[in-house]
Amino acid sequence: MNAILKETASTIAPLTARGLTHCYEGSNVLRGVDLALEPGSVLGLIGRNGAGKSTLIRTMLGLLEPLSGEARVFGEPALKLSDDAKARLAYVPQQPEALAWLTAQQMLDYVGRFYPRWDADFAHRTLERWKLQPNKLLAKLSPGERQRVDLIRALASQPELLVLDEPAAALDPVARRELLREVALRAGESGTTVLFSTHIVSDLERVASEIAFLHEGRLILRCGVDDTKERYARLWLPAAKSAAAPTQALSRRRHEDGSLSLVVERDAQDHWPEAASLPGARIDALGLEDLFVEIAE
Amino acid sequence: MDASLLTIQPNAPEPIYRQIVEQLRRLIAGGQLAAGELLPSVRDVAGFHAINPMTVSRAYGLAEAEGLLERLRGKGMAVAATRRASQSENQRLALLEPQLLELARHARELELSAEPVLRRLTRLLDD
Repeated sequence: MNAILKETASTIAPLTARGLTHCYEGSNVLRGVDLALEPGSVLGLIGRNGAGKSTLIRTMLGLLEPLSGEARVFGEPALKLSDDAKARLAYVPQQPEALAWLTAQQMLDYVGRFYPRWDADFAHRTLERWKLQPNKLLAKLSPGERQRVDLIRALASQPELLVLDEPAAALDPVARRELLREVALRAGESGTTVLFSTHIVSDLERVASEIAFLHEGRLILRCGVDDTKERYARLWLPAAKSAAAPTQALSRRRHEDGSLSLVVERDAQDHWPEAASLPGARIDALGLEDLFVEIAE
Repeated sequence: MDASLLTIQPNAPEPIYRQIVEQLRRLIAGGQLAAGELLPSVRDVAGFHAINPMTVSRAYGLAEAEGLLERLRGKGMAVAATRRASQSENQRLALLEPQLLELARHARELELSAEPVLRRLTRLLDD
């Protein structure tokens, strides 16, 4: 799994976190998170509400000061980003609030001047396609519409690093598919690095190259999407055989009849744990959503 | 061939790249895709289904290594010429093996005997 995190001197990871911790009012939200994104990768960050996804994103971008640990963007300390680094980065928060006294069109015209690769034509077309009134004040738009305008802002700047916090919530299924298409093609063709958080697992399965599960402030799984589906499965053991259960499992659930469900991983030789071949035992392939539910419960 | 001919189920346990290879294998074995026929570009497939282009490249690469596809210079991927349009009945049946095993397992779990399952399956196949 860690092979994916390989760093070489020639490629600076667009986004890295080392040992990030953070707490709100005495309760730990991040408990030591390490994370690095390779250029051109699409990392889907998944976790339950309150798992710390938004806090992690904001800390990684330097919008929040961590209690300890360090975040870097394009190799620069996140808390002291240069203007150059800021122009190569686009972040869409869950609830954008900036520049509310401008209309959508005014805001896009204004911020466009700060981005060297601004695509005004894309901004114009997408406003129309996503049914946003260009001359309405941002303050008068619904939260979903505000986020849609902000997504257009982020995409039109043609960033090298795109960070989206729960972008799916603001979009209907057609617009959501369109956003995913943009994300997938930009990552694949222009080498854009993308970090997005979501709780809609199928979105992540479409476009993400890797996933990171954040659970109670810790990253409990970091893996390629295809790899995750092929490496993990649910092992079910009847009550009579449950004593033979492997000690290593990502989750373990005992049922009323004494049978046991475990999330298990293939070993280095691609074999399932030995208990899987016991009579009555069963291995079930898991989609990411099922895996997520099994682990996070 | 058009990108819409492929069906992608992102939330299935089977990775998307495998879903694509599996479908190409079936379409070629069944003769719906003839030798020499061009495949949609990686961009077209990725764009149509809103999936990561690297996933499509991986699927095409795997299909190429298996001899299902070949790269035509300047044109992209095509169904391999050396492949006969349709394989023998046994070869095609072998492609169905994973689904048949799965079906047999479910039938046993439901304590269904072969007869009603086969009756229903025959109806479905005749439709």
